[in-house]
This record gives sequence, structure tokens and C-alpha cells, in this order.
Amino acid sequence: MQQISIHNNEFLFHPTGTAYWKDQDMLLVADVHLGKVSHFRKHGSAIPAHVAYQNLEKLTDVVNELSPKTVCFLGDLFHSELNQEWHDFTKWVEYTAATIILVAGNHDIIAPDKYLALGIQVVPSLDIEGFSLTHHPIEQENFFNIAGHIHPGVRLQGLARQSVKLPCFFKSEKQLILPAFGTFTGKYILKPTETDEVYALVEGEVLLLR
Amino acid sequence: MTQTELLEKAETWFADQGWKSFPFQRKTWKAFLQGKHGLLNAPTGSGKTYALWIPIVLQYIKDNPEYKTKHQKGLKAIWITPLRALSVEIQQAAQRFADELETGLTVGIRTGDTPQKERAKQKRSMPDLLVTTPESLMLLLASKGYKKMFKSLTAVVVDEWHELLGSKRGVQMELGLSRLKTISPELRIWGISATIGNLEQAQDVLLGMAPAFRENSVLIRAKRKRKIKVQSIIPKTMEKFPWRGHLGLHLLDEIIPIIKKSKTTLVFTNTRGQAEIWFQKILNRYPEFAGEIAMHHGSIAKDTRLWVEQAIRNETLKAVVATSSLDLGVDFSPVETIIQIGGPKGIAKFLQRAGRSNHRPGEASVIYFLPTHALELVEASALKRAVKEEVMEDRIPYLLSFDVLIQYLVTLAVSEGFKPSKIFPEIQNTFCFQGITEDQWQWCLNFITLGSQSLQSYDEYKRVEVSSEGIFKVESRKIAMMHRLSIGTIVSDSMLLVKYVSGGFIGTIEEYFIGKMKPGDTFVFAGRTLELVRLRNMVAQVRRSKKKSSKIVSFMGGRMTLSSQMSAILREELQSGGEYKRNTPELKALHELFHRQEQESIVPAENEFLIETFKTREGYHALFYPFEGRFVHEAMSSLLAYRISLLQPITFSLAYNDYGFELLSDKPLDIQQVIDNNLFTTDYLFDDLQKSLNSTELARRKFRDIAVISGMVFQGYPNKMAKTKHLQSSSQLLFDVFRDYEPDNLLYQQAFRETFEHQLEKGRLRMALERIATQEIVWKQCEKYTPFSFPIITDRLREKLSSEKLKDRIKRMTLQGEK
Repeated sequence: MQQISIHNNEFLFHPTGTAYWKDQDMLLVADVHLGKVSHFRKHGSAIPAHVAYQNLEKLTDVVNELSPKTVCFLGDLFHSELNQEWHDFTKWVEYTAATIILVAGNHDIIAPDKYLALGIQVVPSLDIEGFSLTHHPIEQENFFNIAGHIHPGVRLQGLARQSVKLPCFFKSEKQLILPAFGTFTGKYILKPTETDEVYALVEGEVLLLR
Repeated sequence: MTQTELLEKAETWFADQGWKSFPFQRKTWKAFLQGKHGLLNAPTGSGKTYALWIPIVLQYIKDNPEYKTKHQKGLKAIWITPLRALSVEIQQAAQRFADELETGLTVGIRTGDTPQKERAKQKRSMPDLLVTTPESLMLLLASKGYKKMFKSLTAVVVDEWHELLGSKRGVQMELGLSRLKTISPELRIWGISATIGNLEQAQDVLLGMAPAFRENSVLIRAKRKRKIKVQSIIPKTMEKFPWRGHLGLHLLDEIIPIIKKSKTTLVFTNTRGQAEIWFQKILNRYPEFAGEIAMHHGSIAKDTRLWVEQAIRNETLKAVVATSSLDLGVDFSPVETIIQIGGPKGIAKFLQRAGRSNHRPGEASVIYFLPTHALELVEASALKRAVKEEVMEDRIPYLLSFDVLIQYLVTLAVSEGFKPSKIFPEIQNTFCFQGITEDQWQWCLNFITLGSQSLQSYDEYKRVEVSSEGIFKVESRKIAMMHRLSIGTIVSDSMLLVKYVSGGFIGTIEEYFIGKMKPGDTFVFAGRTLELVRLRNMVAQVRRSKKKSSKIVSFMGGRMTLSSQMSAILREELQSGGEYKRNTPELKALHELFHRQEQESIVPAENEFLIETFKTREGYHALFYPFEGRFVHEAMSSLLAYRISLLQPITFSLAYNDYGFELLSDKPLDIQQVIDNNLFTTDYLFDDLQKSLNSTELARRKFRDIAVISGMVFQGYPNKMAKTKHLQSSSQLLFDVFRDYEPDNLLYQQAFRETFEHQLEKGRLRMALERIATQEIVWKQCEKYTPFSFPIITDRLREKLSSEKLKDRIKRMTLQGEK
């Protein structure tokens, strides 16, 4: 775990790719992409069904560990229309003590009232004390933006033609992009500049690179 | 009509054309009319089409004495060809005979190129002979009423069977035939194959396991031997000859006089990208050829390809730069000369290409070989010997390809549905699935109906449904459509259509190439400089550009390996009788290179196994030279890297070519340790190999095709990619998922099995290791790179293998940032 300070707020970067915002007692989770596995199966692609449970199990673990007051999903929580995984998700919501907020993303096509019925607030964006939480990364005057959507990763190179790609938290001067939480998702390789900070997820640890 | 009368009809027709039938043709006619199945071994351009089409017509005449007045409707025969390009030729030849005998028989073509309107028309009323591809045959099996359509079938002829045999298209063909055997009672199965090492096996695979077919069959060999002369293009001075490379452009000037002095020359390259580059460079340097040379490869629009083929026949072209798209079939009489650029890697392929030239009787066909780098001259020398000694490779058939079986079962479920109890015996009778167990069969059925091996609550998996009568059927129209679009076993990267803004189709290119470009960028494709205007729905819209562009379209993949027969000869050539007794012109030309090699290291003799180590800016190189061909080296390098990685935490980058392989590391490697620990042993070979494959990409790459063929990864609707992007998942992710959650999945395991059986060609690795065990290992610690090592260490396509913690590795690495 890595602790960093942004505008005098304390954040914990967790190896699951979530960020815990201490001052708000809030867990930030981006791009879970629930429902993806069921969606594939529904269309005839035989991905093992139990992969679908992975995300919720991981989510349960991190929430149990940090027990935040609020869990805020930064978009793309659900990949598709209602399916079996929604059913599992509702059970998870019942079980979870935290308040849940969803900042809607481009894949979130499930109607907000379905979420409301579960007691989940759906908002296009969320501004808290100089921080703006969105799905798509944005630039907003006087706000530090925390977003998802990108599925950021970086590439490292070494001697003897070695190279690896790692998912990461990608922090620039006015922005933090969270890695994708979902297990069945890819990553997009970014090239950091001198001022960017990269926190990579490496075998259950979060490491600051450079 | 008696058989003699029928055969006379054919002979008369032959005589009318001024021809004389060959013994193999007469043998085939008789065998067919006797109701036999079989395999005809005959080269291209030998009259094989008439060997089999004639008896099909004669059979029709026999069955319908009033054939001139009363045309019996319905499909009589299917002619399978692996290449669409060949279909027109076959159609014309077949139609000609049918017309001149006044049979009223029609010949139609049905391939991916056939317009929708024409296809619909065929569905209503089938031609008498259908020329088609394995994929299109499968599509017919995926349409309603196929049983009725194939009922009157008397023959299936599989042309160029050797091409299909060693691929999954062959499996597809076996499965298609297994169905036809049941539903077409009059069916005769015939294959036509060029000479390969395992012709008898080829016949068995085609006919399947059922004795009724096997025992009633013949193997007919056309005895026509062609003399072939191999002429290497050797540069005048070897100094400028590069030590690596795959283009061979430095010898471009040498082929110009060859082209000029013959009527038409075919210049064969190994890849489409290479063809594009050669075509462009010839024109740049010799603009006078404009309009007289053309290019032919699989990604160019069909119209253009047909135009090129016609132009070859009309003798309006001086030269055509082509890939394997012109390897087969079509007979081009004006072609006088063949030039092969780069090692053809296999003897059969080389001979096939050599055979494309029409030579005067009694004279040898000449094929020029242009090496792309110095060491390839050894290959030329080896090829010559192989041709002389008539060495032939085998084509290894696939076994238990569950991905193809799954696709086939869904195909049947899409059309009329199937009952497993009926289909299973058909499957067991194919060569590919002779060893399938009840459990594996049940696994496949579960896979297509449940998407897993156990029923899960609330699961929404939907593909094939089972009706109350036990019929397996696809009910969803969407799934049926997706399946029809996915039929096939050739997996390629997403292809984009290239079109002019004003309309007009130029060809297809891989998404990865165009993905790197922005609108306004220019590139060279199909011999034209084009500017990308926009990308829309899987179509790259372009316009002609006057700008010069250095970006020539490239295509992925296409690396071939030396066959085992070739590598054995190559090894012998290289080591023949010691250093200075090399007497072929090719080996003589390499004198300088061998000299340099001996200064820095050695040229290994027959009983020596050479290992070289040296350090460069890149890291610590260790090179091994088994001379066993790319695939064996691929396996051996990962095996060795794995075994070393057990001794110490280490990370390797692996590279290989046909001569040897490299283990590159950022730490020095102690070869003595490798020798002392006997790391080349054959003990626990497959166990270790399996483990090493887990840590490299080999099996993963095989899995990519399997995932697509079995329908786990949908490649998308043509021209509609954007809409279905969310249905495409990466086979890479799937591979990980199976590894972690379902390691006993048959498709996942198939990836490993295929890697063993096809990549390693059944124990070639073991034999190579056994050979190394008898050799003396010579470890040379060199000052710098050697001529032998150069092409390998500069190869950028690499595998990696590591036994280090990722955390430790990245400590020594640097983050790739914006420059």
C-alpha cells in the first residue's frame, strides 16, 4: 500500500487498484465491468462462469479490510444490461454497510432507478472539497480530478530486451487516474512525462516508479 | 452404355482436342466408374482436372441415357479447391467438356467472392458441379435443407489435398465429408495431391476410418517427372552481402536481366509485405517496367487478382511479384522463369513453385534462388541436394482438434439441428477424431449447450439448445448469424477494407498496420501510394497521393520453419567434409563468411555442438546452434531457459532462426553450469517442456486460433465492428482465465497439445537432443558477435522466460515515458 498526499488530503493506494480517501472515509473504485462475463456467455462465448464472482469477491475483501463509510464507483460498474451478475451485485449491496455512489460511465446503461431501488446514488460527477470525481478524465479549473475510464498501464524496459507492462495509478499535476478494478479487462499503455507519478500494481504491492 | 463405350467417348473428345490421354487419367476414369474412391497424385498442369471431371460426367451419362434431351436436376459433384483464385480455371475446363458432350450440365462457383444474388440463385437451383472452398461447403451445411441439396451427390473431389491436409482446413474437410458420407448414398470421394512424403496417410485421412471407404479405394500416381535446375543468384562480391535480413533488395539489379530475357517471370516472395516492397523497389529503380509488372497476393482485391492472372495468360506482363497466392493450380503457360526470393524453407513448396514455369519438353525447369542474407546460400546449396535426392516432406494431419469439432457441431445446429447419437459415429470414423472418447464427446456437447461442464444456477449461457426430442439446435437468429460469419479455420488479425473515397475497392489490410496511422498519412499498398482520409466502420477510405511514402504495407506473421528433412540436409551441407572441402558455388561464395566465423569462433564439425557467449551493449548473449529449424529451436530455447531458470533466478529474452537460438540475459550465464548439470537431457522432457511453455507465449499463441475457431472469441460483423466491439474479448485474457480456473478445459489443453505435435513435429525435439548428447559440446567465449550469431541477435521477435520476482526485475528497468 502506498500513502500519498494530494492537496493536503491523504490517500491510500491499495494493491487491488482502489484508492482509499482517508479524509472522506471513502473507497474509490474504477471500471469494475461487472456483467461482462455473463454478457459473453449470453452471446455464446463460453467463458467460465465462476470468473464472474471474482470481482465481487475482491470487492468484498477490500471493503472488509478498510471498512469505508462510502464506496464510490467511478463509472463502468456494469458492463451491460441486467443479467445474473446484477442479481449477485444486489446481494453484495445488501451485505455491504457502506453508502454506495456511482459516478456513471459510458458502459453504465442500467437505468438509474434500478440503482436507486438498491439505495445507490447515481450522479454524473461528484465535487468534494476541491476534488472532482468523474468517469472520463476531465480538466476543471480549481479542481483536482480523480477518474477512471482509461485503464492505465505503463511499460518498463531493461537490459537484454526485457520489457513488462503493468497496470497503475497514474497521477499528473491536476489529475489521478485509477487502474481498472475488473479482472476481465485490458489496459491502455500511457507514457508518463517528467512530472507524472506512476504507482504500479506489482504482485500484490503498489510501487512508485521513477 | 457400357464402360468401354463411355471411355471411348472420353478418348474421342481428347483426340478431337489434339490431345492424348495419360495412363493416370485412364486409370482414374476406370476406377471412378467402378465406384471406387481414391487419391490421385499428380502435379499441377498435368491434366488432373480432366482426370476426375470426365468420369463424373460419364457416370451421369450412364445413369441418364437420355441425357441430351432430359436434364436431371440437382447437384452431382462438388469440387473443393483451397484457393478461390483457382475456381475460375476449373470451372472453364469443366464447362468446356460438359458443353462439347452436349450434356447440358452446368458448372457454378461458390466462394466468399460470390455475390449474394448469385448465391441465393444457387440455393434455389444448384448447378450440377459446384466449385467451392472448404469454408463455403461448411456454410452450405449451415443452411436449411442441406440434406436434400446433397442427396443426389455422386462425387466430392478435393483438389490440392496436400495443402489442406496439414492444416485445420483439412479437419474441416474431414468433418464435412463425414456428414456427406451419410446423406449422399452415391458418394465417391477423391483427392488430388502433389507429391508429399506421406501420400498413403493422406489417402487415409481423406477417406476416414470406415472400411467401406478405405478398402474400396485406390492410390493412383501420375508418372511424370520434371527435371528441375536450381540456380542461385550469387553476388559478384560477397563484401556487400549482408549477414542478416529477409528482403534481399541488394540483389535487385541481378534479377533485371533475368526478367528481361524471358517472356514472363514469376517472382515469388515468402510474405505479402515482402511482395509489396519488391514490387515498389523494382518500379522505383526501373521505371521503364511500369505497366509491365504486376503484383499478386491474397490481400489484393479479387478483380485485380483476376486481371493479373488473365494478363499472365495473355502474355502482357513481363513479371509478377507474388506470394503463395500463385503457388497452386492455375496453369500459366507463358511463364518461363521463376525467381524465389528468400529461403522457401521446404522442398515441396520450392518444387511446387519451380513447377509453375512451363518448360519445353525435355528441358529442365529453371528456378532462380535469391538469398536474402549470406547464410541463406547454405540453404540454396541444401535445396539443390534435396531436389537431386528427391527428399519429400510429410504433411502432418491434425488430431483431435476440438475447436474445429465444436465449430462443426454448432454449424449442424444452425441448419437443421442434430442428434448426438447419429453424429457421434460419423465423427469417430474420421481420421482426426478416431481417438475421441465418450467423455470428450460429452465435454464438447456440454460446451456448446451449457458453456461449461456443470449446470449452473441462473446461468444465461446461450448457444445451442436441446429440444424435448433431444435435437441440438440453435434457436437464436443472432447466434446463428454470428456463427455463419465465423465459420472457417484461418484466423487472421482484424482486416480492414481499403477503398477509395469515391468508391472502388483496393484490398484488405490488417488493423494493426492502419491503426498506427492518422488521416493525412500516406502509405504504399497494392503498388499505389495512398493517403488515408478517414477510418469508418472497418473501412479505410483513401485517395491517391502524389507524395512519396516510405511506409509500405506490412502484414503480421508468415514466418516459416525449415522442415526436418531440409534441416538435416542443411546441417550436412554446412559441415560437409570439413571446412575447406566445400565445393558447391554457394558454399564457395561463403568462403569469407566462414573465414570470419572461424576467426571469432568455429564452424562446428559433424560431431560438435557449438555454443558461443559474448557481451554487447544489450547484455549477455549465449548462442546455441543445433541447426534443426526454427520450431525445434523455439522449443529447445524455452526448455533450456526453463531448466537454467531453476538453478538461479534469471530472466531471458529468447530469439531463434533456422540455424540456432539465443538466450539473452542481463546477467552473465555460466555455460559450464549448463554442461555440468546435463541440461540437454531428454529425461523429463515433456514435463519440463510443458512447464516452460506455461511461462512463454507459444501455447498462448496457439490458443488464439483455438478461441476464435471454437467461437469463444467473435471476430465481428464485417463492416460493423464498432457495434459489436463489446462482444470481442481478447483470447489472451481467456487463456489466463482458463489457466487459473479451468486448466482441464479441453480447448485450453489443445493449445499445448498442438504446440507439441505441430510446432515440434512429433518428437523432433527429442531426436535433436539425442543427437546433441552424442556430440562434443564446444563452448567458445567470443570477443564479439560472430557471423552465425548476427541474424539471431538482431531478431526483434522474441519470447521471454523468467524465474525472477517481477518486483526484482523492474528494479533494474526504466519506465518508458514521453521523450
